[in-house]
Amino acid sequence: MKANLTTKDRQARQNSRRAFLGSLSLALPASLLLTSACNRGGGQGDKFVIGFSQANKAEPWRTWMDDTLMKEAGKQPQIEIAYADAQQDNSKQVADVENFLRQRVDLLIISPNEAKPLTGIVKRVYESGIPVIILDRSIEGDSYTTFIGANNREIGKAAGEYAAQLLGGKGSVVEIKGLPGSTPAIDRSAGFREAVAAHSGIKIVADPVADWLRDKGREQAEAALRANEKIDLVYGHNDPMAMGAYLAATAMNRAEGLKIIGIDGLPGTEGGAKAVLDGKLDATFLYPNCGKEAIETAVKILNKERASKTITPPTARITKENAAQFINE
Amino acid sequence: MTLLGERRIGRVKLSQLQAFLGLIVVFILACVFSPVRRGELIFLDPGNLTDILRQVSEKGIIAVGMTFVILAGGIDLSVGSVLAFAASLSAVMLMRGGYGTPETLLAVLAAGLLIGAVNALVITKGRIQSFIVTLAMMSGARGLARLVSGGSGVEIGYGAGGAPQSFSVLGGKLGQFVPVPALIFLATVAIAWVGLNKTRFGRYVHAVGSNETASRLSGVGVDWVKFGVFSICSLLAALAGIIHCAQLEQGNPNDGVTYELDAIAAVVIGGTSLSGGTGTVVGTLVGTLIIGIINNILGLNNVDANVQLLLKGIIIVGAVLLQRRG
Repeated sequence: MKANLTTKDRQARQNSRRAFLGSLSLALPASLLLTSACNRGGGQGDKFVIGFSQANKAEPWRTWMDDTLMKEAGKQPQIEIAYADAQQDNSKQVADVENFLRQRVDLLIISPNEAKPLTGIVKRVYESGIPVIILDRSIEGDSYTTFIGANNREIGKAAGEYAAQLLGGKGSVVEIKGLPGSTPAIDRSAGFREAVAAHSGIKIVADPVADWLRDKGREQAEAALRANEKIDLVYGHNDPMAMGAYLAATAMNRAEGLKIIGIDGLPGTEGGAKAVLDGKLDATFLYPNCGKEAIETAVKILNKERASKTITPPTARITKENAAQFINE
Repeated sequence: MTLLGERRIGRVKLSQLQAFLGLIVVFILACVFSPVRRGELIFLDPGNLTDILRQVSEKGIIAVGMTFVILAGGIDLSVGSVLAFAASLSAVMLMRGGYGTPETLLAVLAAGLLIGAVNALVITKGRIQSFIVTLAMMSGARGLARLVSGGSGVEIGYGAGGAPQSFSVLGGKLGQFVPVPALIFLATVAIAWVGLNKTRFGRYVHAVGSNETASRLSGVGVDWVKFGVFSICSLLAALAGIIHCAQLEQGNPNDGVTYELDAIAAVVIGGTSLSGGTGTVVGTLVGTLIIGIINNILGLNNVDANVQLLLKGIIIVGAVLLQRRG
C-alpha cells in the first residue's frame, strides 16, 4: 500500500514537470513566431495601409500578380501592403478580409477565390467606408470602388484573328480547352470561335478539354493528332496546355509546319514568353496581371481622385520578335 | 477496479486543466501581440472575438463529433467530405429542387446520419479498423458530393425562384454581434457534454475507449456504442456542412479538404487521448478556441499563411507532449 502511494507521488511529480515542459514547448515557439510576426506586422504612423487579399499563391500567374503589385507599391513611399494568402479556401479568405476590416485598413485590394462566397464580406467592407479594388474575378452586385480585370473574350478573339492570319484563312485547328464551366475557358473559346468563324476555310476539327494542365494537354493533343492526319494549328486556352501540345507534336514527329498558340504570356524561364522566344510556341497572348493598375488606382483613390468603376488592361501579342521584353516583366 | 477508476478521473481533470492552461497562455500572448488601434487592442474588440467564434464554429462542430469517436477509441477521416456533401446537397435541394428550409435540413441531416451508420456497420460487422473504413468514406462522400452538385459549386440565391430567406438565418447574425453558427456550436458542445457525462451512453463511450474487451465482457453493447458515435460524428459533420453552405451562400463539393485533420487537432489539443477512453468535450471547445485565436492573431499581424500552418503543427506536438504520461 505504501509502495503504491510513493509510486503515485512520483508519478504526480513527473506529471507536473511534464506539464510545465509541455506548456513551455507550446508557449516558446508561439511567442517566437509572434515576435517575428510583429516585426513584419501591419502599418503604423502616417502611411496608408492597403490590405491585399489574394485567392492563392499556388498559380504562377497569381505569384506574378503579387510580384508586380509589390514592386509597384514599393515605388510609393506613402503606402504599405498587408498581405494575406487565402490558399484557395473561401472560408479562409472571408476570415482574412474580416481581419483587414478589424485592422481598419485604408483600402482593400482583393482577388476573390470565388464570387459568391466573398460577396457578403466585401460588401460589408465597402459599406463600412473602406474603398475596395477587385482584381481578376469580380463579386456579385456593385459594392466595390473599382474592378480591374482583363477581357478573356477579347483575348480569345485576338488569338483567333492571329490564327487566321497564320493559316492564311485556311486549315484544320485543334482547340484545347480549360476547365469546363470556368469563365475564362468559356470566354477564351467564344472569342476565338467568333474570330475564326469569319474564315470559312478554317475548321475546328477537335476541341478536347485539358483542365488548364500541361500533362492533360499533352494527352489530348496526342489523341487529336492521332485521330486527324492533318492538323495545321493548335490553340491552347493557356500556355501550359499549348506546351503540352508542343511536347506531343515533337514526340510524334508532327511539329514540322504545325503552328501552336497559347494564352497567358507569363515572364520567367518557365513562362509562355520564354517558350515563344525558344520557338516552341508560335505566339501567346498576354493575360495582364492587373498588379500595376491596382496600385495606380489605389493611389488615385487614397488621394481622393475619381477612379473608374471598371478598368480593362489590354492584352498583347507575344511573338518571337518581342518575346524578350516580356520575359523580364 | 476502484483505484483504476479514480486514476482515470484524476487524469481527465489534469488534462483538462492543462488544456485550459494552454488557452490562457495563448489568450495572454494574443493580447500582448495584438495590434493596437486608437489605444485599444484590436484582438479584444468584441467584434473580433465574435469573428473568432464564427470562424471556428464549423470545424468546432465537427470536432465535437470527432470527440465522441476518439473517446470510443476510433477515428473518422470522412468528416471533411461529409461536410462538402452536406453543403452541396443543401444547395442543390434549395436551388434546384425547390425544397423549403425544414425539408432540406431534415434530409441533409438524415443523409449525414446514414453515412455514419454505414461507417459503423462496416466497422462493426466487417471488423475493419475505423481508420480504413472512414478513409474509404472520405473518398466515397467526396464522390457523392461531386455527383449531386455536378462537380462545381452550386450557388445560393435568395428571393423568387431561389432559396427561402429562412435558410440565411443559419449563416447570419442575431442582432449586431452574435453569429448564429457560433450559437449552434456552443449548443452542440452543451448537448454533447450532457450526453457524455450524464447518460449511460456517455459512460459506455468512455468504457469502450478504455478497454473494449472488458466492456464487452461486462455486457456493454460495444457495437451499438460504435454505431452511436459514428452516427453522431457524421450527423454533426452534416450540420457543419449546412452552416458552411449558409455562410458562404454556396454548396461546393470541393470544400472541406483537411477539415478532418483540423478537427482531430482540436480534439487532441483539448486533451483527449487518441488511444481512447480519456478526454472531454469541454477540452475540445478549448482546443478549437486555441486554434481559432492563434489563426486570428497571426492574421491580425499579417503573418504568412504558410507560417500559420507551421505553427499549428508545432502546437499540436506541444499539446501531445502536455498529455504524455511517465
